[in-house]
Order: sequence, then C-alpha cells, then structure tokens
Amino acid sequence: MMNFIRISARNLLRNKLRTTLTVLGASVAIIAFVMLRTVLSAWSTAADFAAKDRIATRHKVSFVITMPKNYVDQIRAVPGVKSATYAIWFGGKNPKKPEQFFATMAFDAPSMLEVFDELVLAPDQQQAFLADKQGAIIGDVLARQLGLKVGDRFTLQGSIYPGDWPLNITGIYTATKKSIDRSSMFFHYSYVNDSLPPDRQDQIGWIASRIDDPGRGPAISAAIDQMFDVKDIQTTTMSERAMNLSFMGMISSLLKALDVISIIILFIMMMILGNTIAMGVRERTREYGVLRAIGFPPASIAWFVVGEAAVTGIVSGIVGLALSFPIVELGLGRLLEENMGAWFPYFRIDPKTYVMGMGLALVLALAASIVPARNAFRLQVTDALRRLA
Amino acid sequence: MVPISYNLRNLKVRKTTSAAAAFGLALVVFVFASVLMLSNGIKKTLGRSASPDAALVLRKGATAEIESVIEDANVNLVLNDTSLPQSVSGPRGVSESVVVILLDKIGADGFSNAAVRGIRPDSFAFRPSIKIVEGRMPQEGSDEVVIGRAISGRFKGLTLGESFELKKNRSVKVVGVFEDGGSSNESEVWADIDTVRTAFKREGYTSAIRVRVSPSQFDTFKASIESNRQLNLAVMKEAVYYEKQSEGTSLFISIMGTMIALFFSIGAMLGATITMHAAVANRQREIGTLRALGFSKASILFSFLLESIILSIIGGGIGALASLAMGLVSFSMVNFASWSEIVFRFEPDGGVIVGSMIFATVMGLVGGFLPAIRAARINPIEAMRA
Repeated sequence: MMNFIRISARNLLRNKLRTTLTVLGASVAIIAFVMLRTVLSAWSTAADFAAKDRIATRHKVSFVITMPKNYVDQIRAVPGVKSATYAIWFGGKNPKKPEQFFATMAFDAPSMLEVFDELVLAPDQQQAFLADKQGAIIGDVLARQLGLKVGDRFTLQGSIYPGDWPLNITGIYTATKKSIDRSSMFFHYSYVNDSLPPDRQDQIGWIASRIDDPGRGPAISAAIDQMFDVKDIQTTTMSERAMNLSFMGMISSLLKALDVISIIILFIMMMILGNTIAMGVRERTREYGVLRAIGFPPASIAWFVVGEAAVTGIVSGIVGLALSFPIVELGLGRLLEENMGAWFPYFRIDPKTYVMGMGLALVLALAASIVPARNAFRLQVTDALRRLA
Repeated sequence: MVPISYNLRNLKVRKTTSAAAAFGLALVVFVFASVLMLSNGIKKTLGRSASPDAALVLRKGATAEIESVIEDANVNLVLNDTSLPQSVSGPRGVSESVVVILLDKIGADGFSNAAVRGIRPDSFAFRPSIKIVEGRMPQEGSDEVVIGRAISGRFKGLTLGESFELKKNRSVKVVGVFEDGGSSNESEVWADIDTVRTAFKREGYTSAIRVRVSPSQFDTFKASIESNRQLNLAVMKEAVYYEKQSEGTSLFISIMGTMIALFFSIGAMLGATITMHAAVANRQREIGTLRALGFSKASILFSFLLESIILSIIGGGIGALASLAMGLVSFSMVNFASWSEIVFRFEPDGGVIVGSMIFATVMGLVGGFLPAIRAARINPIEAMRA
C-alpha cells in the first residue's frame, strides 16, 4: 500500500507543471463549490439566529395589507405575552443613491427597544432618539455605508409613503445577536402616522411580541390568531424563525439553480482531473507494458492509476479548502456582510461544507480515474510495448 | 502559415483529452449562456406586458403598482383629462387595484407572493392581447377569478376549478385561465375590483390608472397631469414602467451569474492549458521539424493558439447549444420591484449566443497562450535531436 502511494506521488512529480495546473484547476473548482454552498447555507442559517422567544403577527393573506393599530393592545393582553411592538415597512430610499437597498422601518420606539433587546444603543443616544420625533437610529454597518454619524441630518425618500422625510440620526446601534440586521434604519411610527390623511392613519404592518416561555410559542400564537379570527381582519402569528424561513419560498427557484450550478462545477472539476489522469496513462503506456512484461498483474497497473488519481484528489482538496477559508470567510464574506448585510447577515463556511468538499474531491478524482484505469487494466503487453507515446 | 487541418487532426488524435477539455469549457459556457438567457427572459416577460400606446399613472413617488394609492375622485379627473384623445377604439383607460397575497407554493417549502389585480369590466378590452384559453370569463361583480397561464398550478388553489381565500369566508373560485403571449400578466390573478377592495378594505382607492395615449400625445398628457399639484400623480409610459420593474432582478441575476461564470472559467481555462501543454510537449519533434522547414516562430504561435481556440469553440458551441434546451424550463421567483412572483423563461437570442461564443474564444485564447509561447520558443535543432 505504502508503495502504491509512493509510486503514485512519484509519477505525479514527473510532470510538475501539469500536476500544478491540475491541482490549481481542481482547487478553483473546490473554492467555487465552497462559495456556492456558503451562499446557500448563509441564507438558511439566517433563520437560525432568530430569537426563540419572539413571535410575529401579520395580516393573514398579505404582507402589504395593514392591520388596525389597536390589535397590538389586544395582543399585549394575551397571557404569556411579555411585551409587544408594532411597525410598518416604510420602503424608503436614499435620494442620492436610489438603487442601494436597505431596510427602513417605522416602529413604536419605546416598545421596540424593549422587544428587540439585543439591539445595543448607548443610553444617551437612546434618550435622544425617544425624545426626537424625527429621530432615527441606524445600524453601524449602514452608518458606514451611508457615511453618517450621530447628529447628522438625512432625508429619506418615501415610495409607499410619498414625499421627503427629513430625519435626525440620533443613534447608531450594534447588536449582541445576529437576529438583528445591522444595516437597517429605524424611526418613529408616530412621525409617519401623524402626517397621513385621517382615513389611512393607525394602520400597522406587523406586530412583534416577546413571550415568557419559548416552549409555549405555538399555543400563544394560536391564541392570538383565534382572537382575531372573528374580527374583520384575520392574522397569522408564527415564531420569528418560521417567519424568516417562510421567506425562503420566494427565492426557492434561485436556491435550486445555485444547487444545480454547484453540481456543474463538480463536473468541470472531474473533467480537469480526468483529463490529466488520461494523459498520464497515455504517456506511460510503454512503462506499463514493461511492468506487465516483468510480471505485474493487470490489477496492479490499474491500482497505480487509481492511486495517482486519489493523491491528486486529496492534494487538490487540501489546497482548495485551505484557499477557501481566506477567500470566502475573510474576503468575500466580510465584503458581503458589510455591503449586503440585508441579504447575508452571516456569511461563514459551514463545517459540513469542508467535509463535503474534501470527500467530493476524493470521490470525483476516483470516479475520473475509472476509465483510464480500465484502459490500463486491459492493456495488451505487446501493444503497449509497440506503441509510441 | 501552418494549415488548419494540422490542428484539427491533432485534436482528433488526442480524442480523450480534447473531449475532456472541450466538455469542461462546454459546461462553463452552458452556465454563462443560461444566466444571460434568464436575465433576458425577465426583461422580455415584463416588457411584453407593455403596450406602445399606453401610459401608466401612479401616485407620485411610488415605484410599483402595489405601492400606489389613488383616490377614486382623482381617477375620474385623470380619465376625463382634456389632453386625452377623445375618440379611441376600446376603453380610454382603466383603473385597477393591485395587491399581493401570500399563498403556499406547490413543490417548495414556504409561501410566496402572488399578485392579485382587481379588474374592471374594461380591463380585458383595454388589453386585447389577453385571451381566455381554458374555462370562461369571470362574471362581473362576482367572486370568480381568472388566472394567468404561467401561474396556474404553481400555488395551492391556483388551478382551474379550485378556490382560495382572499380573507375569511371570502373565497374566490378560479373559473378561467388566460394567456398574454408570455407577458408578466400571465403571473397574475385577476379578480373583480370590488371583491378585492372590500376584502382588503381599499374601498374608494385604486392603485394605478392606465390610459390609451399615442406616443405623440404622451408629453401633453404627462404635463397636464403632473402640473396639477393637487392630484400628486406621476405619469410614465407603460414600456418605461415595465423596464424599471425588471431592472433590479435582471441585474442581480446577471451580476451573480457572471461572477459564477468567471470563476468557473478559471477552471476551464486551466483545463485547456493542460491539454495544450501536453500537445506541445508531445509534439516537440514535430514543431522542430516545422521550424526547420521554414515556418516562422509567429506561425507556430498562431497555430497553437488557433488549436486552443478551435477546442474552445467546439466546447463553447456544445455548451451554447445545450443551453438552448433550457428554453423549455420556466423559472419562478419574486421580482424585487413588484414583490410578487413572476414566472419567466430562459429566453435565447442572437446576443446571448454571440456573447457565449466570444466568452468561449477568450477562454481558449487565454488558456492556450502560455503553451503556444512555449511552442514558439522551441529551438528546432535541439527539438529534432531529442
């Protein structure tokens, strides 16, 4: 066995340039694979960071249809609900850069800070925010993107709520948990509500509630929905995690496409590996003939080929994964978390991806060696010796 | 110049490795072409919804129909605006309410947004391209709806003969399926406007007004509506509106897809380099002979580059052809601008094919460059001695 590996390794070193190119090509494929898998896992793990003791209530059939504001008072009275807050999706844009996306939400500020207690805001900034009707707080990531600091004035352009909305940046928040996106902008619900025509006032988009026992989440959610079932507008209440997960349905085809593409890259990798192995066998046909002539059985020849493929696969796997870490986690990951936090709040390689990448590199290398190994196995001694490489 | 048949034969002699390198290139081009087709499909699907002589009126600042709110009184002011043509065949205009509702997606976890358009009797006449292909027209003022061909069967309840709830005790029944030449309208549910407005408490409002106005009269109409501050409305050509609706999603897909394809192309280029390096190494004597016969360094360089390009064009051609098969697949995702699920196809066109072939050629050129230089540098005397 040791000899096999040694011979395989020796054979690989005979053509250093080719081996280097092959390992490089296969490693690039591994990096691409890791990157795609990380995109997929980043989206699904975003749901795992959801707070377990928080539930969300929305209109039963639509995100864009509002509920009466008094629903929140009724939810606060439900046993098991510690506190509740309400919000509307504002859909604002930066007038200077309308194509840049960041979440803008108008909340009932005092209750919001209570329900989302993983949001960290300096006490003086918190006071300033609560005191100023036009006050807004933004995540530190968004602050960097927009180049804003505490005390700045920022005009938000409304789309659902038309017009220009001047805001005072009264605070910059961070978060103790990943359940809060650090690239959002929050401001006062009352600011928006008071400027609407009377018949559009006191309407809210969703309600977030903190509950005393995460285990009772389903029961409390059911109690809330039942309470509004007889009302004019029905609701759906679910855990924050379920709500986050359910958004995945909207991009499910995109996820499927990325899945398919991550498999295609594996085929490309197999082609590169198979190409190199086939080339090696072809060039060494005469040697194999000599080995056979001095008494090696056909199976040994085939094992040389398989062993060579396995070594290439393992080396490619190690190099690919070693390069993936700095590229995906430190490079791309940082970049995405900073600039597209709304999409990828947490872009890290899942340990399972490492295992999968390594396993696939080996398996694919072995698969790619099947045909060349078979050819080597079937080699006729006389043909091999006659042939010119 | 070294004849091309020399290169073709060389590729043929080394069938397995040529095929492996070409197949790797084919896969990359396949991904690249598919992405271009998808991005193209989004633009075309939304573009088909636009009529050249229609304008859309929205609340100022709104970027999509679902964001816009227009009071009924203003609707009449717009439709009776004197700058509109007095005699048109068919309705002068139509105001509709659009909402998105959450429905369970069939064949995927979770739910997604489906657009529901509250229509008036004139809505069909305003868009003559729409044809009912299954079932029948909905009855006016009833709880009957018709659905687009593309969305049919994609969500629970969105199938001919089935029902779904707009709200409690307010279920609507699908009585027909319509087609509109593959436009984004085919991804909508069309229900009676009053059914929609009462179910969602939108009485007295609509989302958008469409009017029939020829391109030459458009500017006058736009000026007339937008100069009226009281209305607080914005006018745009339907084509411009739908183009904007497709912008975000198609850009997102293009950028993501191009990045993936570029990354993949590194692998495929290395594959081509490996193949060409082996070709050069094995043909040292031949190359030496060619040089001795009087072929210049440049013609050797050119010959090997050409061989690499032929390889990549074969691979690219296979990839591009295979990607055409994606035309049969439809793709459904939420369009960022309208927040509703839109079904589109991978749509090929000349630009996609030409773009893919250029991409393949560049990969061949880059991948074959170093081996070709190496070939050109071969010293004829040493090579023939070896």
